Amino acid sequence: MTAQIELAGIDKHYGSFHALKDISLTIDKGSFVALVGPSGCGKSTLLRSIAGLESISAGRMSIAGREMTGVPPRHRDIAMVFQSYALYPHMTVEDNLTYSLRLHGVGKAEARKKAAEVAATTGLTQLLKRYPRQLSGGQRQRVAMGRAIIRNPKAFLFDEPLSNLDAALRVQMRKEIRALHDRLGATSVYVTHDQIEAMTMADWVVVMRDGVIEQQGRPLDLYDHPVNRFVAGFIGSPAMNFMAGRIAESGNAVVLDGGAGTLPLARHVEPGRAVLAGIRPEHLVMAGDDASFHLTIGVVESTGSATYLTSPDGAFQLVQSERTTLGPGDRVGLTIDPVRVHLFDPQTGMRL
Amino acid sequence: MTRSHTPWFLLIVALALAAVYLFPLYWMYVTSLKTGSEMFANPPTFWPRDPNPGIFAEVWGRRTMPTFLTNSVLIAGGVTAITVILGTGCAYVLARYRNVWIDIGLFCVLMLQVLPASVMVTPLFVGFNQVGMLNYPRTAVVLAAAAKAMPFFVVLVRATFMSVPRELEEAALVDGNSRIGAFFSIVLPLARNGILVCAILTFMTAFGEYIYSKSIIQSPSLQPASVGLSGFLGPNSTDWSSIMAYSAIYVTPILLAFVILQRRIVSGLTSGALK
Ligand SMILES: Nc1ncnc2c1ncn2[C@@H]1O[C@H](COP(=O)(O)OP(=O)(O)OP(=O)(O)O)[C@@H](O)[C@H]1O
Ligand SMILES: [Mg+2]
Repeated sequence: MTAQIELAGIDKHYGSFHALKDISLTIDKGSFVALVGPSGCGKSTLLRSIAGLESISAGRMSIAGREMTGVPPRHRDIAMVFQSYALYPHMTVEDNLTYSLRLHGVGKAEARKKAAEVAATTGLTQLLKRYPRQLSGGQRQRVAMGRAIIRNPKAFLFDEPLSNLDAALRVQMRKEIRALHDRLGATSVYVTHDQIEAMTMADWVVVMRDGVIEQQGRPLDLYDHPVNRFVAGFIGSPAMNFMAGRIAESGNAVVLDGGAGTLPLARHVEPGRAVLAGIRPEHLVMAGDDASFHLTIGVVESTGSATYLTSPDGAFQLVQSERTTLGPGDRVGLTIDPVRVHLFDPQTGMRL
Repeated sequence: MTRSHTPWFLLIVALALAAVYLFPLYWMYVTSLKTGSEMFANPPTFWPRDPNPGIFAEVWGRRTMPTFLTNSVLIAGGVTAITVILGTGCAYVLARYRNVWIDIGLFCVLMLQVLPASVMVTPLFVGFNQVGMLNYPRTAVVLAAAAKAMPFFVVLVRATFMSVPRELEEAALVDGNSRIGAFFSIVLPLARNGILVCAILTFMTAFGEYIYSKSIIQSPSLQPASVGLSGFLGPNSTDWSSIMAYSAIYVTPILLAFVILQRRIVSGLTSGALK
C-alpha cells in the first residue's frame, strides 16, 4: 500500500502552548484512520493542520507524495466535514454541493448533473432547492457529506461529524459513512472523542493525549494490547478496571492489595513487583468456590441484553450477558481467564 | 407596581419622549404653511387657517436649493463610499485577527469616536490648508466627515462580521477558494444586511453634516443644505415660514427614506447575520 498522507515530526505551538508534540503518522491510501482522545488533546488541531487551516511550527507533511508545507488549503485537494457542518446559509443545497466544482471551473450543466448524482447517493434529491436553515440536523449532515464527496479529493477529513446527531441516527450514519468510504475507495481521517465510533469505523486508530500519539494500531490490537494505562482505560466501554497489587512469590499470580483476592497470570513476572492489574468488565466471570476474588455489589443496571454491576464506590464494574437476581449488598465471587489480565507499571503506567 | 403594569408605564414614557422630539417636526411643517401674523398669534393655532403651499416652490428657487441639495448629496455620498469601502475592510480585519496590535487598533478607532467635530475642526483646517486641500473644499469635507463616521461604522460592522462563523470561511478555503474569494463569496453576502444598514445610517448622518462644511467651505455654490440653512439665520431674520419651508424640503427625503427603511434598519441592527 502506498502512503496517501505522511506526517513526520509535526509540532504545533500556540504561543507558549505546545499543542502537537512530534506527531509522526502514515496514512495509507484507501484506509480509514480515526483520531481519538479526550477533549483538548489536539485532534482537531492535527486535522486542521493536514487541511492547511493551521500552520505547523515544525515537521514535514506530504499528501499523495507532494510536500505540503506552506501550501494553502485550496491547493491541497482535500475535503473536510466540519462538526457544525459549515453549510453556506445563503446558498441552496444544490449551490452548497456545487460550490467547489464551480470554483474549479466545472460548467454549470455538468455541476448540476454531479449534484443530482451526489444527492441521489446521499438521499437529498428532494431537498436540492432548500436552504440549510430549512433542513433537519441529519439532513444538514448529509449535505456536508455530499459537499465533500462531490469532487474526488485526495483525502476526506472529518471533525466529529456526528456529534450533533441523536444516538440512533449516529449509529446509522456511522455505517453509511463507512460504506461511502469503501465505495469511493477514499482515504479518510476521522476525528472523534467517541472510542466506539473509532473502533467500529476505522481500519487504524490513533489514540492521542496532550498533543502526543499514545498508541496507534488496528482497533482490536489496541483493545487486546494497550501499551499503557491511558490507552487501556480509553479504549473499551465500559472502561477497564484497575486494581493495585503485588506479584506473588511464585511469579504467576497477582496478590491484590487489601486482601481482595488473587488473580492468576498466564506468564511469569518478577516476584514481589508492585503492579496495576487491568481487567475489562466484560471478561469477568461469576464463580463459586474457585473464585479469584470477591466483589460487593452497589448498583445493578440492566439493559435487557446485558447487566452492569458496579461496586459501591463506583470504581469497579462488570458486565454479564445473563440476567441476574443479585441486588445491592450481595457479594459475588469472580474469576478471569489469566491471559486476559493486563499488567501495568504503577509509576509509569506502561504495559508490563 | 405589578409586573403587568411596567410595560404600559414604560410605553407611556417612551411615547411622551417621542412626542417631545417629534413636536418640533410637526411645528416645522405647520409653521412653514402659516402667514407672518398667524405665526405669532396667541394662543397659537395648531393647524394653519390659510395654508400657503406655494412657499415651497418659492423658497426652492430663491434660495438655490438645488445647488445646496446637490452638494449635500455629493458630500454624503462621498462620505458613505469612503466609509463603506475602507471601513468594511478594516472591520473585517479587526473581527478576524486577534492580537495585541489589533486590540490597540480597535482602541484607537474607539478613541476617534470620542473626539467631537468642533474640537477637531481647527487642526483639520490648518492641516488641509498646509497641503492645499482647501482648494477642493468639498473633498476636504468628505475626508474629514468620513474620518468622523468611520469609528461608528467599523465598530458596528465588526460585530456583524464576528457573527459570521469562521468555519464557513474555512469550508470555503478547503473547497478551493482563496482568502479574498472566500471573503467576497461567503462572508460579504452574509454580512450584507449589517453593512447596508450602517451605510444608510452613515449617509443620513453625513447628509446633515454641518460643522466641517461651515468651517471649510466658503463658496456658497459648494455648500451643502445644512450650511445654506444657517445663511437664513441672521440677527434680524424674520422670514420664519421660509426657513421652515427650507427645513421641510431638506429633511423630508431623509425622513421618508427612514420611514420606508426602518423595518430593515431595526432588524439589521438587532439580528445577527444568520437566520
Ligand atoms: N487558536 C488557539 N490558540 C491557543 N490555543 C489553542 C487554539 N486552538 C486550540 N488551542 C488549544 O490546543 C489544544 C488542542 O485543541 P483541539 O481543538 O485540537 O482539541 P481537540 O482534541 O479537538 O478537543 P475536542 O475534542 O474538545 O474538540 C487545546 O488545549 C486548546 O486549548
Ligand atoms: Mg475538536
